[in-house]
Amino acid sequence: MDFTFTQEQTMLREALSRFLGQHYTFEKRRRIVATPAGQSPEVWGQLRDMGLLALPLPESAGGLGGSIVDVVAVAELLGQHLVVEPWLASAVLSAGLLAKRGETRLPALLEGEATAAFAYEEGSGTADLAQVAMRAAATATGHVLNGEKHLVLGAEAASVLLVTARLPDGRLGLFLVDRDAPGLSLRSYTTIDGRRAAHCRFEDVAAGPDALVDADAEAAVAGAVRAATLALCAEAVGAMGALLEITASYAGTRKQFGVPIGSFQVIAHRLADMKLAYVKARSLLLYTAALAENDAASPRDVSLLKAQVGRLGRALGESAVQIHGGVGMTDELSVGHYLKRILFVDTVFGPSDYHLQRVGAAQPA
Amino acid sequence: MNIDFGPELAAFRAEVAAFLDTAPTPAIREAGRKTTSVFAPFEQVMAWQKILHARGWAAPGWPAEHGGTGWSVEQRYVFAEEYWKRDLPPLLPNGLGMVGPLLMELGSDEQKAKYLPGILSGDDYWTQGYSEPGAGSDLAGLSCSAVADGDDYVINGSKIWTTLAHKANRMFMLVRTSREGKKQQGITFLLLDRVDYPGMEIRPIIGLDGIPEQCEVFFTNVRVPQSGRVGAENDGWTVAKALLKHERGGSAQSPAMYRKLEQLRAAAAATPSPNGGTFADDPVFQRDLGELEAEIASYAAFEKMVLTGHPIGRDPAMPSMNKVMSSELGQRVSVLMTRLAGINGLPLQLSALEVGSGFDPLGTAHDLVAMPYYLNSRATTIYAGTNEVQRDLIARTLPVG
Repeated sequence: MDFTFTQEQTMLREALSRFLGQHYTFEKRRRIVATPAGQSPEVWGQLRDMGLLALPLPESAGGLGGSIVDVVAVAELLGQHLVVEPWLASAVLSAGLLAKRGETRLPALLEGEATAAFAYEEGSGTADLAQVAMRAAATATGHVLNGEKHLVLGAEAASVLLVTARLPDGRLGLFLVDRDAPGLSLRSYTTIDGRRAAHCRFEDVAAGPDALVDADAEAAVAGAVRAATLALCAEAVGAMGALLEITASYAGTRKQFGVPIGSFQVIAHRLADMKLAYVKARSLLLYTAALAENDAASPRDVSLLKAQVGRLGRALGESAVQIHGGVGMTDELSVGHYLKRILFVDTVFGPSDYHLQRVGAAQPA
Repeated sequence: MNIDFGPELAAFRAEVAAFLDTAPTPAIREAGRKTTSVFAPFEQVMAWQKILHARGWAAPGWPAEHGGTGWSVEQRYVFAEEYWKRDLPPLLPNGLGMVGPLLMELGSDEQKAKYLPGILSGDDYWTQGYSEPGAGSDLAGLSCSAVADGDDYVINGSKIWTTLAHKANRMFMLVRTSREGKKQQGITFLLLDRVDYPGMEIRPIIGLDGIPEQCEVFFTNVRVPQSGRVGAENDGWTVAKALLKHERGGSAQSPAMYRKLEQLRAAAAATPSPNGGTFADDPVFQRDLGELEAEIASYAAFEKMVLTGHPIGRDPAMPSMNKVMSSELGQRVSVLMTRLAGINGLPLQLSALEVGSGFDPLGTAHDLVAMPYYLNSRATTIYAGTNEVQRDLIARTLPVG
């Protein structure tokens, strides 16, 4: 048993940390979020040059054949630096699903010339595939899509959307739809944690025979969503680690009543609880990632991780704001942005209450 | 022991209801629905205060001699219940709840005559200049200085968390007038007639919710008249503590909490649960809602002890206990709100939140306010003295150590 990162993973993490530390400062990120596109082509090019766009894809599809642990290793750092680029949506979720078919658009994604978005969520806020109800009706030339998709990350900037929909036979279909397809309308927005997303409406969007990527996509989508859930948990754990460090250092330097506030037991114990939360969350993340790498992570294991990260992350983030006091409430400091990144992670693919309920209700297999 | 449920109270309720059904403009009602903080949208809430004042109802908690209503505690609850039932914006607390009662207690006759009418009518909004970048929990460590010069003070330094200073026309503040002796002994309480004295600069600060509610105010050789001083020079700490007592408790808050509970119930019944049915059917959510109601019930009862002068309410720890209870209840409400909003709480929707924008929100009206309310309410355990400081004060009233 060994839960440490490999030498390659460690080297990649060091390179990524160095890049983000130098070129993705909090101020730089703020400027990126404020641009019309809300993401940076330069940063995306850098991520490509570091191999991150190819990392999650199998070698047969021109990728680097990275594992789920590789994805977790990268995502933790993206969370630590509050990265808003659509790596998860495009490179992990969408490209991974397209790779299964040897899609002609993959090279553009790998080259960083285009991005793809994953249109999955319909409002339930969970990863439960049974909640996908959008219909794909059969036509003479393929299918026609009608319905709405919520919270499609990176939709506006994407050239294509991967869309889940129910086929006439009840099975889950996965469709490739051009972002500017007639009948597809987007309402774009910035999320509380600085990402771009859109509410997508499909009104008689025609999907030709080539558009059906997978006519029985249940297993593939479940796998992709599981990988994305682990990656999001890794982002949150990265954010937790950053908050712990920032808050401890603030408590050590901020003086009130003539002494650092960290010398007050109420603050020291709060910091200790933050550390306990971080260690619990990160331990379970690394263990679950190792299980997943061996194809041994059950839905229950993923629920346990998602529940712990959401619950402990919220508590840690709220403590970080509280210890910072008024300044922790401002948009100027990174602290609140980390809390919002954690809130985002807790909210998507099922919040902690939902997963705790599932775990509590079901016998271990 | 007695609670008045008499028929004249029902008549009073009908009178209040009739007024509140007709008096607020649509913009005022919209502002109430879009209130995501203790501080309601400024323009609409000040307009609403003027309407209430014209009816004589701006200050239910004030004594009649200063323009209050002279209502019984029962009547105040009836008014608050009818008020919250309609989701009207709460009047801003700084004037009516803080500096007004303080002036009644410690102001000179001249100050009362000069300032109380504007506080009551809503012509004046007072921002609070207490905290400084280096003086938060340790408020007495403040360093913004005022030096006497002729009939004036000359102020240098800065104040932070001056709520809505960019909308204010007046300011009350604490300044350092002496560095001799204990730090509490060199503080003076000042009323400023303007916030645009030469040398004053106001910088709004954007919060976690994306809204510029707080400000920082800088003073460079700002000359203000000494006639604005409340109490004696270097005795401002006594004045400040008297004001904090008003800031931390003494009004009918529980009807607002019961209204939030009612809204949560309605939203729960309208929101599908991922476990099937709605959140109203979800046993976990039911249990959390039950716990919230039990906590509100305790708080509401405590508040009535306070307002009726029961010994429980005369406890020296009352303001601190009230502040801890009410702030943590508000946060608990806000967490349940975000749970119901789910992914609809994730889009940043500042345009839709703006009163009069006509911008349709994604999701429901509840979804729109849930996340901003949650984020804003994180401040409630920080401002008016952190809850850590309040717990220290509560502990000091017990026979420990």
